[in-house]
Amino acid sequence: MSQTNMLAMILAGGRGSRLHELTSKVAKPAVSYGGKYRIIDFPLSNCANSGIDVVGVLTQYESVLLNSYVAAGGRWGLDTRDSGVFVLTPREKADEGLDVYRGTADAISQNIDFIDTYDPEYLLVLSGDHIYKMNYAKMLDYHKANKADATIAVIGVPMKEASRFGIMNTDETGRIVEFEEKPANPKSNLASMGIYIFNWKLMRKMLLDDMKNPNSSHDFGKDFIPVMLNNGKALYAYEFKGYWKDVGTIDSLWEANMDLLDDKNELNLSDHSWKIYTEDSSSIPQYIGADAKIHRAYITQGAVVKGEVHNSVLFTNSTVEAGAKVIDTVLMPGAVVEEGAVVTRALVADGVRIGRNAVVGSADSENILLVAKRVKGEE
Amino acid sequence: MANKAFGIITSAANYIHVEGMHDYRPIGAFSFVGRYRVVDFPLSNMSNSGIDRIQVYINSRPRSIIDHIGSGRHYNVNSKRGRIQLLFTESNTPGGLYDTDIEAMMENMEQIERMTNPYVVIAPSYMVYREDYSKLLEDHVASGADISLLYYKHSNAKEEYLNAGTLNLNRQKGVTSITRNLGDAKEKNIFMDTYIMSKELLIQLIKEAKAYSSLYTLSQIVSDKCAELDVRGVQHKGYFAAILSLKDYYNANRRLLSQKDAEDLFKPNWPIYTRTTDSCPTKYYECSDVRNCLVSNGCLIEGTVENSVIGRGVRIKKGAVVKNSIILAYTTIGENVHVENEIVDKWANITHVKEVVAPEGHPGYVKRNDTL
Repeated sequence: MSQTNMLAMILAGGRGSRLHELTSKVAKPAVSYGGKYRIIDFPLSNCANSGIDVVGVLTQYESVLLNSYVAAGGRWGLDTRDSGVFVLTPREKADEGLDVYRGTADAISQNIDFIDTYDPEYLLVLSGDHIYKMNYAKMLDYHKANKADATIAVIGVPMKEASRFGIMNTDETGRIVEFEEKPANPKSNLASMGIYIFNWKLMRKMLLDDMKNPNSSHDFGKDFIPVMLNNGKALYAYEFKGYWKDVGTIDSLWEANMDLLDDKNELNLSDHSWKIYTEDSSSIPQYIGADAKIHRAYITQGAVVKGEVHNSVLFTNSTVEAGAKVIDTVLMPGAVVEEGAVVTRALVADGVRIGRNAVVGSADSENILLVAKRVKGEE
Repeated sequence: MANKAFGIITSAANYIHVEGMHDYRPIGAFSFVGRYRVVDFPLSNMSNSGIDRIQVYINSRPRSIIDHIGSGRHYNVNSKRGRIQLLFTESNTPGGLYDTDIEAMMENMEQIERMTNPYVVIAPSYMVYREDYSKLLEDHVASGADISLLYYKHSNAKEEYLNAGTLNLNRQKGVTSITRNLGDAKEKNIFMDTYIMSKELLIQLIKEAKAYSSLYTLSQIVSDKCAELDVRGVQHKGYFAAILSLKDYYNANRRLLSQKDAEDLFKPNWPIYTRTTDSCPTKYYECSDVRNCLVSNGCLIEGTVENSVIGRGVRIKKGAVVKNSIILAYTTIGENVHVENEIVDKWANITHVKEVVAPEGHPGYVKRNDTL
C-alpha cells in the first residue's frame, strides 16, 4: 500500500463457456494467449506496473489451476513485504455458512474483511479476462482530479456494435449521466471496460446495503452502478485509448492472437517499459530446422519448427514436424502437428496432436475451427 | 544422498582468457545458447541433484554475474534451508599471479569450515555439461576413493581445449597425475575441473597447497597427492564443452544446433534454470528466412538467418544475412548487412559496415555496445 493507497480486486470467477473445451478444465482468465501468456497476466502485470501492491483475485469456477497460478505472486514482482497476490475463493463463514459469489458486487462484499485489513482509500475492480495494457495510476489521478465517487474506464466502440456493450452516456465534463446495459438504440459509443475505481469508504457502506437488498442480483453493471447514479453520486467516465479485447469466443481469441502479427498492433508486447510478466518456462530457445519455412509468425520458447508456418502463433513447446504446414493457425502450448499434416484457420488446444498427413480446417471456413481432441493421422 | 554435500562453483584459472568476451565479464556470465549463462549449468546440475548449499566464487568483474544469480531463487533452491552464496576474493588482481582457486577458497575458509555437510562437489563455472552429482556422490562413497574427478574423453584435443587439465589414468581408472593439454595428442582425457571429496580433505588440501606455494592450484595439489591418496577418474558421456577460448565458445554454442547434442544436454526432467527477462515471443516477418537456428524470445526477424544462435531481443532487419554466427542479446543487424562466422556481443549495432565476415573456422568478434 506504500505506493498508491489503492487495492485491486480482480474478478476471475467466470467460466467463459463460449470458449467451449478450452474452459472445460480451466477458468477463462487462465486460458493461454499470445504464445507464452495467460489472459490474467495482463491485469496482474498492469497492477504491478501501475504501482499497486496488493491484489486480490476472486476465483470460483474450476479454480485449481488459476489459484495455484496466481498465488505465485513473484511472477509479477508482487511478493515483497508490502505486496502480494491473494486468492479469494468463496468460503464458509461462522454466521452465514458457505455461499458462492452471487454476483460481481457480492464477490467484493464477501471479502470486505480482507480489504479492511489493508485499509485502502481506493478500490480498483478489474476483470480477469481482458487483454490490454493500462496504467491504473493515471486513472486514479483522473478520479482524484474529478473528486469522483467512482470512475469507470470506457472505450469507444464502433457505433453499430455499441448495443452489445454497457454504454455510458456522459455530459461534457465526462460525468456519467446515464448507464444503459446493451441498449437497442445507443446514445453514445463509450462502452464500459469493466474497470472501476471506487472510494472505499462509500463503497463499503453501499455494498453492505446491497447485500441486504433482496431485489438485487448483486452485480456491478445491473445493480450497483445504477444505484450509485440514482443516488446522485459523482461517477466519471475515463476514456481509454489503445488495444483492448474481451476474448469471449474462439473466433475472438484467435483474432486477438493474430493481432500480434500486425505491425500496427497497439498491444506492443516488446515495450520494455510495460512488460507483461508470466510464468517462467524452463524450455530451451525455439529451434527452427534446416528445412523450415516461416513467414509472418509469432513464436515462443520451446517451440520446434521443422515444417512450414504461415501467419500463425506458436505457443510454448508446440511442434511443427517436417513437411507439416500450419497456416492462419494458433497452436496452444504443447500442441503437435505431425509430419505432413496441414492445419488451416484453426486453434489447436493445449497438448493436442494432429496426426501424420491429417488435413484439418479450411481456408474459407466462416468460423475458426477449435481442435480440442487428438486428430488421428495415417498410421 | 546429495544433501550430504555442499557445492562450490569455481572461476576459470588465471591463464585462461577468452578474447574480447572476457573483457566484460567472467566466463560464468557469458551468454550461452541465447537465453542461458554458462554458470546456469553447474548451478542447475547442483540444484537438480538436491544440493542446496552452493558457494559461487567470483574473481573478476562481478556485476553481470551478481545481476544474474541475485538471490538465487530462480535456481529452485529452497530459500530458507538452502542458500547460494556469492564469495569474492579481495586480495588478488583478476588474472594476476595470485588469482588461484586455492587463494579464493583460503580467503573464504571460514565459510567452508562452517558448512555442515560432510562432502563437497566442486564444479567449474566455465564448462557446460549435464551430470547428476547425487549419483556421482553415491558412487564415490561406495568406492571408498578419497577423491573422484570427472573427465571427458576428447578426440580433438590437438585443436580444442588447449590448456585444460588432462587426467593421466592407470588401467583401473586411478589417476596418476593431472597435466595440461598442450595439444600434443589427438585423444586426451580432459579434466572437467569437477571434484568430489570430503569437506575435511578439501580443507586439508587447501591449507597444504597454500603452505607449499601461494601460487598453487587445487589441481596441482591433487596431482601431487595421486601417489598417496586414492584418486579416481569418472568418465562423463554426452555433451561436454569447456569454454577456454573464443573458438571453444563459438563451437560450444553451435554444436547445440545438432538435435542430438541438444537433446542430450537438455532433458525435460533436468531443467536448466536461468533468470527470466520476461521478453515477449519472437516475431518473424513476411520476408524472413530462418533455417537451422536456435532463437531466443523477444527478437524481430526480417532477414535471412542460417546455422546461428540468436540471443534475446535481437533485431535482424530487412535484407540482412546472418550465417554461422552467435548473436548475443539486444544486438541490431541493420538492413542489407552480411554477418558470417562472427560472435556479436550484446547491444552491438551493425548498420553502416555492410560486410562483417570472418574466415570459416576462425570466428570473429564484435565488441559489446559497439556501433559498426
